[in-house]
Amino acid sequence: MKRLILRITMVLIAVLGVILMLPVPVPADGWKQAITQRSWHFPKDHGAHPDYRTEWWYFTGNLVGEKSNRYGYQLTFFRQGIQTERKNRRNAWSIHDVYLAHFAISDVGNGSFWFSEQVSRPGPGLAGASTHGMDVWCLNWRARMKNGRVLLDAKHGGTYLRLELIPRKPVVLHGENGLSRKGPLGGQATYYYSFTDLETKGILKTEKMSDPVNVTGKSWFDQEFGSHQLSAEQVGWDWFSLHLSDGRDLMIYMLRRKDGTVEPSSSGTLVEKNGRARHLKLQDIDIKPLAHWKSPASGGLYPSRWQIRIPPADISLVFSTTITNQELDTAGSTGVIYYEGTVSGKGTSSHKPLTSEGYVEMTGYAGSIGGVI
Amino acid sequence: MKIVTKSFLRYLIRRRSLSLLQLMGIACGVAAVIGMVLSARSALSSFSDAVSFLQGKGTHLIERPAGTMDERILTDLMRDRAVRSMSPVLDRKLRLEDGNLIRVLGIDPFLDRQIRPELLHSPFTQRRGESGERNMEFFLDERAVFLEARLADKMGISPGSDMKTSRGLLRVIATFPNPSGEPLILMDIAHAQEIFELPGQVDHVDLILDDEVDFRSRWETGFRIQSSLERQETFRSMVGAFRLNLEAMSLMALFVAVFLIYNTTMFTVVSRRKDAGILRSLGVKRYEVTIAFLAEILILGTAGGAIGSVLGYLLSHFLTTIIGSTISNLYFFLRPTPPIWSFLILLSGIILGCGASILGSLLPLVELARTDPVEALRGRSASRRSGKKALKAAYAGIVVLMISLVILLASGKQIYMAYAATFGVLLGLSLLTGILLVYAAPALKVFLSLVGGIAGKVAAGNIRQNLGRSGVAVAAFMVALSMSIGLASMIGSFRESLAWWMGTQLRGDLYISNASETEVPLDFYEELRSINAIGGVDAYRKVKILYRGRTAYITAINAPVLQRFARFAWIEGGDEHWEAVKSGGVIISESFARNFNVRPGDTIALDGIGGSVQLKVEAAFYDYSTEHGLIMMDRSTYLNLFHDYAINSVAVFINPANPRRQELLDTVREKALARGLPVFTQKQFYNSILEVFDSTFAITRSMRIMAIVIAFFGIAGALMTLFIERQRDFGIYRALGFSTGQVSSMTLMEAIGMGFISFVLSCAVGTILAFILIKVINLRSFNWTIFFHMQWQPYLLTAVTAFLASLGAALYPIWKVRRNYPQMQIREE
Amino acid sequence: MSHAVIKVVDLWKYYDEEGHGGNAALRGTSLEVRRGEVLAIFGKSGSGKSTLLNLIAGLDRPTRGLIEIEGKNLETLGEAGRTELRRTRLGFVFQFFNLIPTLTALENVHLSLELAGISNLQIAGEALAGVSLHGKERRYPHELSGGEQQRVAIARALVKDPALVLADEPTGNLDTMTGNQILKILTSRCRQTGMTLVMVTHTSLACHYADRILTMVDGIITDKLNSEEI
Repeated sequence: MKRLILRITMVLIAVLGVILMLPVPVPADGWKQAITQRSWHFPKDHGAHPDYRTEWWYFTGNLVGEKSNRYGYQLTFFRQGIQTERKNRRNAWSIHDVYLAHFAISDVGNGSFWFSEQVSRPGPGLAGASTHGMDVWCLNWRARMKNGRVLLDAKHGGTYLRLELIPRKPVVLHGENGLSRKGPLGGQATYYYSFTDLETKGILKTEKMSDPVNVTGKSWFDQEFGSHQLSAEQVGWDWFSLHLSDGRDLMIYMLRRKDGTVEPSSSGTLVEKNGRARHLKLQDIDIKPLAHWKSPASGGLYPSRWQIRIPPADISLVFSTTITNQELDTAGSTGVIYYEGTVSGKGTSSHKPLTSEGYVEMTGYAGSIGGVI
Repeated sequence: MKIVTKSFLRYLIRRRSLSLLQLMGIACGVAAVIGMVLSARSALSSFSDAVSFLQGKGTHLIERPAGTMDERILTDLMRDRAVRSMSPVLDRKLRLEDGNLIRVLGIDPFLDRQIRPELLHSPFTQRRGESGERNMEFFLDERAVFLEARLADKMGISPGSDMKTSRGLLRVIATFPNPSGEPLILMDIAHAQEIFELPGQVDHVDLILDDEVDFRSRWETGFRIQSSLERQETFRSMVGAFRLNLEAMSLMALFVAVFLIYNTTMFTVVSRRKDAGILRSLGVKRYEVTIAFLAEILILGTAGGAIGSVLGYLLSHFLTTIIGSTISNLYFFLRPTPPIWSFLILLSGIILGCGASILGSLLPLVELARTDPVEALRGRSASRRSGKKALKAAYAGIVVLMISLVILLASGKQIYMAYAATFGVLLGLSLLTGILLVYAAPALKVFLSLVGGIAGKVAAGNIRQNLGRSGVAVAAFMVALSMSIGLASMIGSFRESLAWWMGTQLRGDLYISNASETEVPLDFYEELRSINAIGGVDAYRKVKILYRGRTAYITAINAPVLQRFARFAWIEGGDEHWEAVKSGGVIISESFARNFNVRPGDTIALDGIGGSVQLKVEAAFYDYSTEHGLIMMDRSTYLNLFHDYAINSVAVFINPANPRRQELLDTVREKALARGLPVFTQKQFYNSILEVFDSTFAITRSMRIMAIVIAFFGIAGALMTLFIERQRDFGIYRALGFSTGQVSSMTLMEAIGMGFISFVLSCAVGTILAFILIKVINLRSFNWTIFFHMQWQPYLLTAVTAFLASLGAALYPIWKVRRNYPQMQIREE
Repeated sequence: MSHAVIKVVDLWKYYDEEGHGGNAALRGTSLEVRRGEVLAIFGKSGSGKSTLLNLIAGLDRPTRGLIEIEGKNLETLGEAGRTELRRTRLGFVFQFFNLIPTLTALENVHLSLELAGISNLQIAGEALAGVSLHGKERRYPHELSGGEQQRVAIARALVKDPALVLADEPTGNLDTMTGNQILKILTSRCRQTGMTLVMVTHTSLACHYADRILTMVDGIITDKLNSEEI
């Protein structure tokens, strides 16, 4: 849910709020709402759901290169509905929705972080998403599923990424059979599922590299869609996706409210090695920041080191960001400032030592996300 | 030497009216140059600003060699590894209610953000505070546009209101500032495709490329790829001839200004001769006299330059508007930003004033320093040897003339050299003025005696006697009048040639649309063709291309129709050339032939949609439609080459013998109007061309007026000096019994005499100038032959100008005479 | 060392005007003038008096012959030397006064002083007072009568205390009474201070005030006074 809020917020701000300075469209006339549980049909449901206003495909992962250099990547596609029906069906440019994409690479070895973004309407084949299966693209950035494998391809100038992702665990449906509630009211929800464990291999190149490197690692995929609007009470959220060395995957989100409390519906999911998912309630999770980093660019004070304990699963972890600065400051274009970066840590599970790698996302530290809208 | 300098400077105050005239002379000269240069610069920089502003961060542009491009190319571009960003653009024009053409850019704001981040930032952000729905209108409302702020201001349009255009009502939802000053309409590409009826089409795509060579290797065939630099160069060369014209005008202003300042300085020297002699006899050194004189010149130069810079700045605002409308007529609608005042302008004015003063005073200064004190002490001895000096000047003039003529003939394509040589010719001719004045003196005496009796006779003697002064004044005035005649004759001849050309090529009875208006739908053309009674329908298509890296144009026509109805002015041969055109040959305009050195019989290579194609040049014809050069081909050849079916305009020819002629014309007109297409009769079409022509030379006309104004001060200054220098003579006249009226009339006769001589000389010099402008300058800078047409209007106009200027210049001296003459006595000092 | 302030030996001057061959203004004139002497050179218009004066002043250069002023050869002095000589050792009085019209009486006098390297308005003022022009210091030439203008010119010539004063028809433009006044002032001031004065004139008036009178006829000086002509 937190991620939905983030996504919607970002899409709105990016597409409407700043690029075009369009304030939020009036809620949901004609758009379908995520109210009831739905029956899922994969691979069709990996595709687009154009009846819903907002949708995203979200990939993050930790990779290792040939010389044991570690990298993190983020490739995200957002679809934001503008109007339910295109006004002029003959004209390819006539708008139904707009696509945005964010592409980021963390080079842990030399501590550098790079990101880029693209926006396009579908137009004559410029951006879009299939409704039959996963094939989403925004200009020359693309994610598609072929023979059960996900192919990612993105290039901007001298930086590019070409990865093949093989799911090692089945789809995990979050919340109630994939209906993820984010407020007490009906319709304050989205449909939300993940591939938490994707074996990854491919090539990666940044501007600073003379040649591309072969990489392998693990990725995480989320897809979420709905037509919900964000409430203004939340100031931001912290989201963690962790791959544990014992084969389990942990997702946690903490929704922070204006009054300093955590939204009661904040929760998490623990996925067992065999793919079985277990819902974690707020009271199952104990999370404490141990250190902070102040962004010189935005002035935001972000946690940079955490302790997490999940008593029901007997997990205790301490982890931190691998590169200090992984803040996406898009003030010049989308106007959103958020932190999306790789983390790694150590801990114990049932007294056995383990390590973890993953991604953290933190919003609302440099200006209130909710307040912008 | 303080006192020496002081003794000179006090003249400035003592002879304030003369000082004022001198000051105004310098100021006007400086103003003309500053005004011209500033406005030319600001207009041209607005032009290139507009170009580079719209280029934004784009590094390249891709388009078809001719016509529009299918938008499906975008997905290929998007996937191309060399492309970092791209933005498709529909670049069109529409006509506003006030008749102005305005540029419309159909863009995709999402993609365009990468190329032109600032362009759309403002219109979207300015509405941040408003309710959300409304900004969405840009994408949702087919009539929604953003309008450039200054134009919106001028038209009194505020966001939310409607605007009438040739493409129907548009709704301005926001305005945006354009630092380049080019008025623009921005529209979502979806809506632009709809209102311009170009579904699925784009005009070009702006690109940011990572690797140009790599990209070109894949996109060479069927496309034209231009880097930003190349594009700017193309635009620069497009306005090249126009810029040259402006620069020439600036130079002309400078030339007349230096002449005038020389004139002014000369008087000052003459009036300081005696003082210089006294001072030298007292033991003052040469250089001290020189310094004292320089101080005086520099004070005049500085003050005149300062005043001139302010006047020039004001003038530039006026001229910028004129130049702007010319650019709008010739290239695209532009409102150049008037120059902004800066102290640099003041500084350049002062430098110019002083520089020209020093330049103008060089010779007089040498003369002054060399002044033989013995002679100087004798009084006004300078005139005694003026005949000899006039002869010397004439020799110098002949030398200058010879050198200039050699340069003129040898300058080849060096247009600046040609201009310099032209001024050289003028200078050389002006140096002959003195000697001509000597020879013309008897005739002048007869003329002035006839006009003014005894007073006229004395006046003629005075002009001859004071050759040193009157000669320079006449020369300056003559130069200004010659400029006026030369430019007017050139323009007149050009206009005649243009009219003749229109009569050969544009013989249609009706013209539907024109190159700058809306395109003619293909089906309408077919519909007209299907009307049997119509003699012929010519579909005209004109596209800009790059030939050997430079701008040129291709026009497609229906050769069989033109063969039957038009009477092309072939440079060689006759209408048999059409046969070859019908079978795939091309004909070229004179400007193309000269510009690219291509002759009939040669083949030229054009990049078509399928790659390079060799075409045989059949013939060349006279043409004034573009100085860049024109390749004309049959429509069938063109379609094969470019697959571009667009039609800019259609000419309808009806057999004159057809009894239903009028009825047919009415039918065609109604059909066109029903489609919203503008229709012009042949006469209207001609007039619209002539209108553009006239506006092209608006700036030239302003310069003519300025030359006259400058010359006016020259003549007035000369008369004033003559008057002051001859106070003693006035005493003699009085003693001899000349009445106040007679002396006034004498002053008037002097003015008229000088004006008359200037005019007579300028008739000859002006004609020579016109000839050079037509046969050398125009031919070389525009590559077309203008036929010299002798016209009486420029001469008459100049005669009237000369007369009025002389009259005006004499007014103040006459007033002085009437006031002072009755008290004048024969005495020194 | 000679006592002669001016020494002229066999001086010739041709005017070669408009290329019309030779027209001699001076044909072998010789002359010597002692210090403190007041000399009048008398001759008709066109006899070459003014030419001689201009040559002595170094304003013009002879075709042939020698001129020495205070023992210095004008020819070898060069232009700069001659200018310097005019500044410090020579005073000039003209027929047409030749005041600088844009300078006041005082400034005209001061100009001469300044050229001699002395910048002192008081001396200039005293010089004007010396020619009875007290109170008219600030007038411009055109505000003065002819006699007054010539007095300014005399003050201008004498103020720098020159060795030699040259006067070219000093009374030529004045009535007899004024002319007498002027001559009186000029000669007495010169005698008082021991300056040498050379006047050229075509009237007898100036001759009455001279120590010595020479006659000039067609470019040649005869030291014989032709009383008929006077």
